[in-house]
This record gives sequence, C-alpha cells and structure tokens, in this order.
Amino acid sequence: MTAETKARRRRGIRHPVALAVFLGPFTILFALFYAVPIGYAVYQSLLTVEREGTFGKATQVFGGLTQYVQVFQNEAFWSAVLRVLTFGIVQVPIMLGVALLLALLLDSPLVKGKKFFRLAFFAPYAVPGVIAAIMWGFLYSPKLSPFTAITGQVDFLGADLILWAIANVVTWVYVGYNMLIIYSALLSIPADIYEAARLDGASQARIAWSIKIPLVRPAITLTAIFSIIGTLQLLAEPQVFKSFSSAVTSTFTPNLAIYSTAAVPNVNLAAAFSVVLALFTFALSFGVLKYTQRKDNA
Amino acid sequence: MSHRTALAGGALLLVSALALSACSTGGGTSDTDAAACTPSEGKVNLTFTSWLPGIEDAVAIWNDENPDIQVEVQTGPNGNGGTYKNFFNQIEAGNAPDLGQIEYDALPNFRVQDGVVNLADCAGILDAKSNFIDWTWNQVTFGEENAVYAIPQDIGPEALYYRADLFEAAGLDVPTTWDEYAADAAIIREQGGYITNFSQSDINAFAGLVWQAGGQWFANDGESWDVTLDSAESTQVADYWQGLIDEDLVGTVAPWTDEWNAAYNSGEMWTWVSAVWGANTISSGAPDTSGKWAVAPMPQWTEGASAAGNWGGSTTAVLTGSKHPYEAAQFALWLNSDADALTAMNKSANIYPATVDGASLPAFADGLDFYGGQKIYEVFAEAAKNVNPDFTWGPTMTQTYTDVADGFSGAVSGSGTLLDALKTGQDKTIAALKAAAIPVKG
Repeated sequence: MTAETKARRRRGIRHPVALAVFLGPFTILFALFYAVPIGYAVYQSLLTVEREGTFGKATQVFGGLTQYVQVFQNEAFWSAVLRVLTFGIVQVPIMLGVALLLALLLDSPLVKGKKFFRLAFFAPYAVPGVIAAIMWGFLYSPKLSPFTAITGQVDFLGADLILWAIANVVTWVYVGYNMLIIYSALLSIPADIYEAARLDGASQARIAWSIKIPLVRPAITLTAIFSIIGTLQLLAEPQVFKSFSSAVTSTFTPNLAIYSTAAVPNVNLAAAFSVVLALFTFALSFGVLKYTQRKDNA
Repeated sequence: MSHRTALAGGALLLVSALALSACSTGGGTSDTDAAACTPSEGKVNLTFTSWLPGIEDAVAIWNDENPDIQVEVQTGPNGNGGTYKNFFNQIEAGNAPDLGQIEYDALPNFRVQDGVVNLADCAGILDAKSNFIDWTWNQVTFGEENAVYAIPQDIGPEALYYRADLFEAAGLDVPTTWDEYAADAAIIREQGGYITNFSQSDINAFAGLVWQAGGQWFANDGESWDVTLDSAESTQVADYWQGLIDEDLVGTVAPWTDEWNAAYNSGEMWTWVSAVWGANTISSGAPDTSGKWAVAPMPQWTEGASAAGNWGGSTTAVLTGSKHPYEAAQFALWLNSDADALTAMNKSANIYPATVDGASLPAFADGLDFYGGQKIYEVFAEAAKNVNPDFTWGPTMTQTYTDVADGFSGAVSGSGTLLDALKTGQDKTIAALKAAAIPVKG
C-alpha cells in the first residue's frame, strides 16, 4: 500500500453515496445469491437428525462435524472425485490444446474466412449443455443413431467408454468458448512485435511458438482454471446420459452423488458433500494458479 | 485474494449462517395435527401435482361440480424421476402443493420425513375404509388405528404382456411357469429376438417379482426396521434373471427411453411382465404393434399356482403445509372413489382403481383394440386377488432403488451380479437409515 492511499484512507470515505450506488447492487446480489446460500449450506452441514421409533418425529440438532466424518468415509463419493480427476487430466489438456490451435489458426494471416470460422467454432457453445448431451446421446445410441454402422460396433455408452463419450461432448461444447478467450488475448498482442520477429526472419510457426503462445499464457491459465472447476462440477451431461446408458450410476460424478443424497432426502449430508467439494475445487484451482504463477515468475 | 478480503468473506459467511440459524429455529416443522381438519371459510383453491397422463380430465369434472373448491393440476415427471425430489424440497421450503401423487412404496419415506398429513380426523375418511381393497388401505394406514396418510388411487397387479402373433408364428405356447419362460427365451433368442428386456433401473418392478415369490424387503416392528433385500425369495428371483442375462437371453436396454420404445416397436422384444398401467406404456411406446399383443397371468414359480406381483400403484396424499386439509381430503377421496373420476383416469392412463367396486365399472368390461380386442382387465382383476396383501416398503425407497439400480446396471454390463447388487443395496440402505437416524437392525 502506498503512502498516498494510506493518507486518503485516513481522511475517510469521500463519496459515500457514490460508493453505495456502485457497490450496493453487487453487494446485495452477492449476499443474496452467493453468501447466504453458502452460509445456509454450511449451517445445514453442521446439523444432524434425531428421532425416536421407526416413524418418530425428526428433530434437527447441532451435530458438529458428524456429517463430515461420513463424507470422508463415503467411498462412492471419493471414487467419483477420482473419476472426474481422471476425466480432467485427459480432457482438459486436449480441449485447451485444440482451442489454442484453433485460436492460432484464426489469428494466422494465412487463413481465409476468419469471421465464418470464428462463429462456426463458437456455435456449439450456444447450444445449451443439456440439449448438446441429448443430441450426442442419440448420436452414440446403438439403435437410433444415424451412424449405426459405427455405434453398432463400438459401444460408446458402455462402461468402458462412457466417461470418454462424455468427455467428447464436453470438449465439443467448450472448445469454441475457450478458443474465443485465447483468441481475444492474441488480438491484444501489439503488431510491432510480429514485425520485429519477421524482420529477424521468423516463420509463422516460429512466431506462434515463441511469441504468441508465451504471451497468451495468462489466458490459457484462466481457461484451465475454468475447466478444472467445470470438470469437478460435472452434472448435466452425466445426468442426461443416465437415460441413455446404464453405465452412469447415481454416484458417477461428485455432483450426481450430492444430488442423489439430497433425494433420499438427507440434506445435511448433501450439504456437507457440497461444502467439501467446493473446498476441494477451490484448493485445486488455487493450486494450479499458484503453480503457474511461480513458473511465470521463474 | 488478499488475506483481508478472505477474512471479510469468512466473516460474512459466518454472519449469514448465524442469521439463518436464527430464522430457522423459529419455523420448525408443522405438526401433522389431524384435529385441525375443519372446513375453511369461503372459496378454496387447491394445488395438486401428479404425473398421471390426462389427470386434468378427472379434475375438470370436480371443478365443474365444486365451484367453491377449485383444484389446479400441475404435472411433473414420475415420482422417482423427479417429482419426489421436488416434493421433499417443497415440503422443506414450506411451499408444497396441497395434494400430491405418491406411490405406495414412497409413502413410508414421506411419513418418515413428516411430509404427509394424517387425514384420520377429516370427515368421512376413516369410514371410507370399506370402499378400498384391504391391502391398499393397509399401506396407507401402516396398519395403525386412527391413521390415514393418503387415499389409495390405483393398484398395479402384474401379468404377462406378450406378442400373440409372434408366439403363434413360432409355435410357442404362452409360458405358465418361470421355467417355461426361460425355455422360451432360448428359442426366441435363436430367432433373433429377446423374450423381454431386463429393466435394470426399475427396481420396483424387481420388487414386484420378489413380491410374487412371497418375499419381503423390509419389516417394521415399531421399534426398528429390518432390511432383507437378500432374503431367500429375493435371491431366487435374482439368480433366475442373472441366468438369463448371463446367456444373453434378455435385452438390457435402459427402460423408459426411446431406445426401449424402439426395441418394443420393432418387435425385438416379445413379452413384458408388467402392471396393468403398462398397457398404456406399450400402446404409446410401440404404436406399430397395435392389435398384436395379448395378456396372460404371470408365469409361476410353482406349477399350477396363481400368485401375482404388484408394481406401482399410487395414492393421493395431502402434503404437509396445506392450509386446507379438509377440502384436500374431500377431493382426494372423491378422485379415487367417484365412478366418473375413475372412468376418466382409466380412459387416459389405463389405471386400475384401488376401490372394491372399481373392477365392476363399465369401462373395465371393454375389450381393447390394441390387445386384439381382449378384455385384458379380467386378467388383472384376477391377478389383483392373488397379490400378497402384506408387503412392507422401507423408509428410504428412493435411495434403496438408486443403490440397487447402480448395482443392477453394473450386472447387466458384466460387473458383479444381481445378487451382489442386492447385498450392496442392503448394506447401503442400512447405512442410509443410520445416517438419517432411523432405527434399523444390523
């Protein structure tokens, strides 16, 4: 903190009305739709139910960390976490790799029809996730697919391939979105850097590798973190695929496990699951951020 | 994020948590106090959530006759497909509809969660006992005095739907025992079809088969629950179907999907052991097979026996939080015992009423074109008499179904067996009951 800001702070807030007008809407919405629900979930997760007899009236009492003990003892939940991590380790690099490649192609002076391709690559993201999953579900289906020649031979919806069938859907939907973020980062690179590179005799491939990619690394990191969060929170695609495939169980992803727990209904345990998943997601994305920042600084 | 903002965020969370805990201690769950069942003043509007196809028609009759008690229908997915989740959330939030469709197997779950109102003190409800088939009344009262937690709507006696044309062309007789059924399965497989599809996610259908075999999955002695998913009868049924799955004699398409409809519509599947309401499922899912189906009693474990299973059947319950339990109870009773209402619901959804007189309604004497003109309700009326009246459902059936379905799904794709799935389901059910502080043995 500089001396100047410290001095300003000592004089007090100079424009209280302006401050309230600018911060008010955000603070209220943030509190209502973010802080309060999370607070409520944390509160619910600390409760436990007591009852007498088989149909006795239930009373909620403070249970401390009882629910959290159950979370950590729940094998199905942790194997779901492991499953989405496996998913993420394979799917996120592939998706971001393709997104980067497409962004570089769009940015290259050699490609014609940029506007068309930019829109075409982005179009799948405009399809709602559930619709995309239903569409792919039919494409994979062994009997109803237009490509029964393939789907009749390869069981995309079977236990062995289902995770990667879902990975394909997620990649299809989000490649364009990630491409757009990377592409806009590419557009902000000043042209004189390219000119200098060309004067030094660098080829387009060399420019892409040595100039563009290093300069868009912050954008790639951003997309990576979004993708990690998205992976851990997979829900819509596997939920839709449940109706196409028997290989998607009720605890296939952490969020599905939470959903089924809430359906029992055991809201306290479901809340504890949610809190743990949120903390885990936070830790993981924060870890990735720190790791990449350290590499940037080195 | 700086330490300062992290700290502020944490403080905010804490404050909101405390604020919420303060409000929620005031609310509490409302008492299902039957004594409060008195008529309301003035005009009453009720909401009713159901997934019965065409339920609006029956409700319209009521609305015409009762201008002061208007019922608004909301439709949703079937119970385990989402409506129960909605009900539980709405009950928790205090904005549940006045009335809801709840299947017999889910009623204990709603009672444990204090989600249904005891209607015993509402006028005329206890007296309605004699109107309903004994076992259905037993399900809604849990065998207790002065307790009526819902009004029985329909029952799901099971029989064998089969493709009469295909059986005749293949020179096969309709199987009367499960042994014959398995033998036919092999012959049908040689001809490129499947005798049926094993519904890996319809655990209530499997329960119906166990029910037919004389088994039980739950017992409740008032002090604690006993879970017996792996009982001898259950094991027998599981081993039988596992054998058919192992030899690829049954299809394993996910049920209630377009794929499943296509399998029936194309003639790949030859039979379906299903409840009376399944008549509607086939006719809407496999329209190209119209006129080719017929219905026979379920295959038996013992030759010459006549045991039938039951799959599904619903009740109409008044959900906790309703401000008009009296009017809601009157509507529920009317809906499920009035001849016009029952006829309307049968017309739109092929349901089979839970009333004693229901079977003699004119609608049930008709032959159905889709079933080659056969008077199929005669078969189901007979089956209804042969359903074991004592079958107890557990207090967390949605969870039990989900966990067993996970295991069954594994079994049809080659990992584990149906029996393994039942054993896992047994353990998980006991764990879930313990987690919800519901007393359980084991």
